[in-house]
Amino acid sequence: MPGLEGIVASQTAISMVDGENGRLIYQGYVIADLAEEMSLEEVAFLLWEGRLPNRSELDALSLELASHRMLTQSANIALDALPKDTDPMDVLRSVVSVQGVEHTLGKPTVPLAIHATASFPTILAMFHRRRLGLPPIKPRAELGHAANYLYMLNGKEADPEIVRALNTYLVLLADHGMNASTFTARVIASTESDLTSALVGAIGALKGPAHGGAPAAVIEQLELIGTADNAERWLRDARKRKVKFMGFGHRIYRVYDPRAKILKEMCRRMNPKFFDLASKVEEVALQILHEEHPERPQSTNVEFYSAGVLQAIGLPKEYFTPTFAVARVTGWSAHVLEQAAHNRIIRPQSEYIGPEPRRPVPLADRA
Amino acid sequence: MAEFSPGLEGVVAAETAVSEVDGANGRLIYRGGYLIEDLVPVVSYEEVAYLLWHGELPNESELDALRQHMAAVRNLNKSARGTLMAIDPATDPMDVLRTVVSAQGASKTLAKPTLEEAIALTAVFPTIVGAAYRRRQGKEPIEPRDDLGHAANLLWMMEGTEPSAEKAHWVDTYLVLLADHGLNASTFAARVVASTGSDLTSCVVGAIAALKGPAHGGATLAARNMLDKIGSAGNAEKWLTEAHDRHERFSGFGHRVYRTYDPRAKILREMAKTAAPQLYETAARTEELALKILHEAHPERPNATNVDFWASVVLTGAGVPKELFTTLFATSRVSGWTAHVLESLSDLRIIRPASRWIGPQPGKKPLQLAKR
Repeated sequence: MPGLEGIVASQTAISMVDGENGRLIYQGYVIADLAEEMSLEEVAFLLWEGRLPNRSELDALSLELASHRMLTQSANIALDALPKDTDPMDVLRSVVSVQGVEHTLGKPTVPLAIHATASFPTILAMFHRRRLGLPPIKPRAELGHAANYLYMLNGKEADPEIVRALNTYLVLLADHGMNASTFTARVIASTESDLTSALVGAIGALKGPAHGGAPAAVIEQLELIGTADNAERWLRDARKRKVKFMGFGHRIYRVYDPRAKILKEMCRRMNPKFFDLASKVEEVALQILHEEHPERPQSTNVEFYSAGVLQAIGLPKEYFTPTFAVARVTGWSAHVLEQAAHNRIIRPQSEYIGPEPRRPVPLADRA
Repeated sequence: MAEFSPGLEGVVAAETAVSEVDGANGRLIYRGGYLIEDLVPVVSYEEVAYLLWHGELPNESELDALRQHMAAVRNLNKSARGTLMAIDPATDPMDVLRTVVSAQGASKTLAKPTLEEAIALTAVFPTIVGAAYRRRQGKEPIEPRDDLGHAANLLWMMEGTEPSAEKAHWVDTYLVLLADHGLNASTFAARVVASTGSDLTSCVVGAIAALKGPAHGGATLAARNMLDKIGSAGNAEKWLTEAHDRHERFSGFGHRVYRTYDPRAKILREMAKTAAPQLYETAARTEELALKILHEAHPERPNATNVDFWASVVLTGAGVPKELFTTLFATSRVSGWTAHVLESLSDLRIIRPASRWIGPQPGKKPLQLAKR
């Protein structure tokens, strides 16, 4: 089955993508009920423990996160060893790998998931400042996960509305069923490897443009289109040249992606300039796609309006995919914990399409 | 809803011409249609890498070109060197490999995987493994030698002395045998990463991460650890019987795919006689008794010895310390991983399976924090 489409690879209680009804469920909760109500910390607890935390559990988690925001000395040196123009996803992959090195193999645990989650924003913020030639900023323990990330990036506390927007983005992107990066993490965990290994593999998968690597491309395409008035002409012309519309298409949703719906509203509020252009582009793109394939559902995906929200938050576009990783590390680690608890090595089969067995010719006789 | 097959057992996830494990007949076929036992007597690791990448064995000039190419790209770049030196020398060598490969491949822009990169990655593994080993011993890493073949250079970078032809041959044969093996977990991990359009380094880093697991690449070390505990041929019966009574799994036995003796294990078993005669005695007696005990417990199962069991003996004979076993496996398999990634590019489709929901009924309303 190409791409394993429709093949059940795992049982999970972490999240469910109900494509028919356009619902994303975390541990039984519909995403729309969580997105603007819960902190990323609460949702991370939910994904790891299967229930929402009470006040004292949330305080304990926040403290544990805050006290593991510093990088190890090895990770600091390794971060500085990378050239300033390195793709931030490669920085994340490498420095998460260093941060998680171990002497002997350890089993995945919730504390390790917390420590990894705490380190992602630090790695990205430190690298961001280094490439701008600015000094690193120490984390602030009294700030929440989203607020501290922005603080470490910018060196000043962000506006509460911006913090809330980033938090909502992180909650929305925290998990999404058996996507390619989560599946990578589970394949790695299925060999009884460690949590860091699973996360490093997942980062590598998220980097791909068919997965997490697309939100920056949305901005780039919108920049090419330029104005709402130009949308129709540009998109129709692009289609003739077989140019892919960025931010459209999803294997699972038959109706509008519930995350895109929330992000679209946020864009309308926070990034009107983006919204005016993007909503027109969306309208025309969906029209063209519908003309071509009337049988296919509307397919604006989460990346399309993510781009506008992340732009409004003030993140540079090369930080869109890494910030996706900041959210998804909670889901990845929850899946690794679940995989480890009910493990069976993931080892599918392949179908051989090569020649029938034959004998090798000795080196000297080869043409 | 589709059937759930735990571990995707029996599910075909890809078409491939890189290798085929014919478990029913105990055959491993490498790209081009060659049986592993036919290749071993006539090819070096470099030839097998060429075969896996190109689909055909190289002629003399093609092989020379590949050898020269590999020898020329054995050095770590500045990022990788800095990262290597930042890591505590006592770190698990697989973590060193995962991290330094990641740093070596860190780049400015996303590039599609190429053969050139596959060659460079394959060439640099021995450098990292050698450096990790030397640093564990408190020694400085040494520079690669461009006049040595892949296997000999690997031993050189570990020991700092030129290995005997025999040792280099044992390691080379091991590398040939382990270079590919169908859609195992690490190769599958590489293909899943590749399916998103990611870069080759990301694929290989993901594969290293998967190989690290004791249920996959870590099995060779587990087999050697078991042999260490058994200690001698004379102790095998007592140890195995007691271990079996404690419901302990015997390391180095059983495989999901082979229904008969693993063809690689057969070759390594023969080689083990000369490579490590003393350990061979213990291992042979252990194998005999373990198979007997397993057969008595489960007469219906084809409880064959797997490649890890005999690989642990041969690598020991070649002077490879056991904490490096999994990194040697990676040093071999990287040619297969990269061949699979390159193959998958011709028809790239994101690998995104489904999952079955076993959580609470959707739609419950979250309680406010204060009410929880």
